[in-house]
Amino acid sequence: MSFFSRSPWILHYDGSSCNGCDIEVLACLTPLYDVERFGIVNTGNPKHADILLVTGSVNERNIEIIQNLYRQMPEPKVVVAVGACACSGGIFARAYNIQGGIDKVVPVDVYVPGCAARPESIIDGVVQGIAALEEKRKKTA
Amino acid sequence: MSAWIAFLIAFPLVVGAVLLVVTRPSIRNPIVLGASAAIAVASIATVVTFGNGDAVFFGLPGGIVPGQALLAVEVAMTAFIVVVGLMNRRFLAPVMALIQLGIALFLEMTGRMPDADPQRLFWFDRLSMVMVLIIGLIGTLICVNAIGYMRDYHRASPMTRGRRNVFFSLLFVFLAGMFGLVVSNDLPLMLVFWEITTLCSFLLIGYTRTEETIGYAFKALNMNLLGGLGFGLAIALLSNQPNGLDLAKLTAGPVSGTLLAAVALLAFAGITKSAQMPFSSWLIGAMYAPSPTSALLHSSTMVKAGVFLLLRLSPAMSGSTVGYMVTFVGLVTFLMVSLVAVTEQNTKKVLAYSTIGSLGLIVGCAGIGTPELAWVGVMIIIFHALAKGLMFLVVGTVENRLYTKDMENFDTLISRLPRVSVLALVGIAGMFIAPFGIVVAKWAAIKAFLLVPGGQGAVMILIMAFGSSLTLFYWGKLLIKVLSMRTISDYERSIERRISRYEWLTEGALAAGVIAVTASIGVISDRVVGPYALSAFATGPRTLPVIDAAMLVVMLAAVLFLPLVAVWASRRRYDEADFYTSGRSGNSSHVMGAALGGSRSVTLRNFYLDGVINGALMFRVGTLTCAGILGAMVLTGMVVR
Amino acid sequence: MTEPIYAILFIILAPVFGGLLAGVDRVVSARMQGRVGPPLLQPFYDVGKLLQKEAREVNPVAEPLLLGHLGFMAVTGALLLGGTDLIFIAFVFALAALLLVLAAGSVNSPYSFEGAERELVVLLASEPFFILMMAGVCKVTGASTFAGVMASPQLVALQLPGVLLAFLLVATIKLRKSPFDISVSHHPHQELVSGLTTDMSGRLLAYVEMAHWYESALLGAFMVLMFNWSIPLGLLVFAIAYALEILVDNSTSRAKWQLVLRSTWVATLLFSGGNVLALFLLGR
Repeated sequence: MSFFSRSPWILHYDGSSCNGCDIEVLACLTPLYDVERFGIVNTGNPKHADILLVTGSVNERNIEIIQNLYRQMPEPKVVVAVGACACSGGIFARAYNIQGGIDKVVPVDVYVPGCAARPESIIDGVVQGIAALEEKRKKTA
Repeated sequence: MSAWIAFLIAFPLVVGAVLLVVTRPSIRNPIVLGASAAIAVASIATVVTFGNGDAVFFGLPGGIVPGQALLAVEVAMTAFIVVVGLMNRRFLAPVMALIQLGIALFLEMTGRMPDADPQRLFWFDRLSMVMVLIIGLIGTLICVNAIGYMRDYHRASPMTRGRRNVFFSLLFVFLAGMFGLVVSNDLPLMLVFWEITTLCSFLLIGYTRTEETIGYAFKALNMNLLGGLGFGLAIALLSNQPNGLDLAKLTAGPVSGTLLAAVALLAFAGITKSAQMPFSSWLIGAMYAPSPTSALLHSSTMVKAGVFLLLRLSPAMSGSTVGYMVTFVGLVTFLMVSLVAVTEQNTKKVLAYSTIGSLGLIVGCAGIGTPELAWVGVMIIIFHALAKGLMFLVVGTVENRLYTKDMENFDTLISRLPRVSVLALVGIAGMFIAPFGIVVAKWAAIKAFLLVPGGQGAVMILIMAFGSSLTLFYWGKLLIKVLSMRTISDYERSIERRISRYEWLTEGALAAGVIAVTASIGVISDRVVGPYALSAFATGPRTLPVIDAAMLVVMLAAVLFLPLVAVWASRRRYDEADFYTSGRSGNSSHVMGAALGGSRSVTLRNFYLDGVINGALMFRVGTLTCAGILGAMVLTGMVVR
Repeated sequence: MTEPIYAILFIILAPVFGGLLAGVDRVVSARMQGRVGPPLLQPFYDVGKLLQKEAREVNPVAEPLLLGHLGFMAVTGALLLGGTDLIFIAFVFALAALLLVLAAGSVNSPYSFEGAERELVVLLASEPFFILMMAGVCKVTGASTFAGVMASPQLVALQLPGVLLAFLLVATIKLRKSPFDISVSHHPHQELVSGLTTDMSGRLLAYVEMAHWYESALLGAFMVLMFNWSIPLGLLVFAIAYALEILVDNSTSRAKWQLVLRSTWVATLLFSGGNVLALFLLGR
């Protein structure tokens, strides 16, 4: 019996973004959307997290950070890229400092487009991430 | 049995004299080893021939009474103090020594000194038995440990003049003094042995002859001489009381009048020797001496002389104001030094404060005077001697290897000195982790204080509750440091191999002792400590703490748990850790990437609660409070006459 | 009645009690914040997941120490119901709590270490109280075991109101509602990332959670000791106290560790100490 679908814990990281998606992510925790209903908890700690929820894109400075965070998460883990910046660099893709989307650095399992992504999409993305998590657990179990 | 005791007193003196003239380690070391073994065997033989019965009294062969001989020894000691004091331009000690000699001479000349009963010069009972074992087994282990320790100590500090012949000689003379002390029944006789230990302590603290240590040595001498003066005054008061100088008869039951005044003075002496406040600073200063000194004098043996006397006095003080005051001196000391220990970073000083605190608990128990508390007191003596002796030796070993006393540098001990850390963990677990000795004692003490009538009982329990939590705090800090790990280089790995086999042998033996005594606490209680406690007190509640099987199992588990964890963990390979530092790359060498591409090193430092507890203030408060109580105690004794 | 039975029952049932309590805590807190909250059994799902997750080892000693923490916490309760001396239990309880500190502190990482140090301070703050509480209970009832206290005609809480008051304050700490700047407090409550548990993952974290369940059950048992008239009464009072804790937690601002240390010691001294002193003076 797997508990991952009932207790997915999230680590939210913001790369280089305008913070719009972050606000939408935090909105998911508010009474209107209330993701705690699904047992989702926003932990600040990679070692406690199952899902790495990334907003914003990759630049020179945060390559190392994102890799460290991803590496410090124990298995099984999935990455959900939220917002256009995380998916591909978004509106800032041609800027001198932006390397691109998160998939330049870590393997992404779910892409949630939008600028900013809506809470409903984010939740939907997380749910798909949970399914991917279950898949991974079955493979490694 | 009396023959063995004579051996125990005379033999170390001879060995001490011999060692004074031996300067080559190749000759000295076997002598120390052999003598230690002989003393250990003799101690066990003494106990075996005693047979765990009730008290035995005996005298010297031929029924001789040592009156003149004692006086001669006192004159010699006083002369020595005067000379040494004048040479160092310290005048307080010579003055006090002369006053004491003056009192003794006055009593002798004016014929007020009664003749001692030749058959009751010495008193051996279960308490003496416990003390003889501690001195004979733990004391000798420390002497053997010193062989290895001093070799490294002098190698590390070549500037200090090596006078190891004096050092080892003093260790043995000291043992002789202690043996004499714990079997004496005649008070003037006990005083002589008492002063021998004072002198040895003085000389050992000042061993390195630096400005600083000489200062501390004289502080110790002054405080102990003050106690000795109290002792001498007590003898003067008792000299015209019938059976006044017979300790056993004096302490058969509660006393009043002149006897109580004398008991108060004797208690005063015990309090100075066991470094209770306001006389604690000498013990702290003694930490500057080499570690075997600290172990021998200041944890396992000499300070035990003070509480030993107080336990002997316990039935006499029972229920009196003097007794309650003694208890409060002990408990206030315990509380205040525990507060100070929290702020202290020097590990040896933490051990010293912890020692004073444990002694304070024993003093607290002695003042009340019930079998239950006497049981607690003796248990603390046993367990503390073992665990604290072990800890001082271990800290000494670590100090010689890592050249530090700072607690902050004791970190990653499991990685750097794995086997030593196992021993340290046994020691620390023995000191305070819920079971073993000290906690059993605290538990029992609280239960006993529940029976003390009036507000005093509540205050005692309050002090125990807060004091005990404080000990948890400072031992916890040390444990955190010891248990941390990191990758170490091959060079670091080789450090542990250079520890001498004397140190391994003795520290291992003490650790085994800690565990063995924990396991056999039930037997010890039933066969030795319990009967002693019940026989020492004619009145009072006859209950003793009961340790049931569940408690025993938990206690053993708790004392073994941490060392076993250390053994297991030290065998595991430690991979470079990947701990969380906000996503930055970090490792156990504690250099982190910082902003703007820079790097920063991180130090992890324990809490010393400097903002919350003012250590120096606490010490002063304790000193003043206890000085007040002691003053009141002596006055009460005098007035209530 | 054979008391070992109760010890075994505690070991089996206490985590269930503690987990449900934690679940109720989260649901009630959520409702107070206008949300729906997780299912009641969420804590069990959390632990279940953690047990299935990889445990990253940062320091080999951490795992045995945490197992020790869990073990001794369970043992404390088992001893309590099994009939061991109450004051001894206060000490074993302290040992169990200390092992968590050691596990976290030995990790050598900034957040974990700082969390451990602060937790040690919190232990310092709360420990005197438990010793005093047990001493007070023994003094009032003249008994020294759980069964003895329950059988006593004296209603402990009536004679130890000060102790009860201090208990509520200390329980706030033990239930992880305060201070906010340490650690293992529930997720939104910490200053130091995850404080003590920052570098614990997988089953290690599960041990901490389960130990906390045992601890909650223990606190419930202590409350039963205070209201020794009947077990249901004690548990009811505990439930009310817990509800109060949740309310306070959700509606007041955070306390830092220095404030907690001072206020707890003052409360212990004044309320508990004063109470016990009064008991002695009244000559029980």
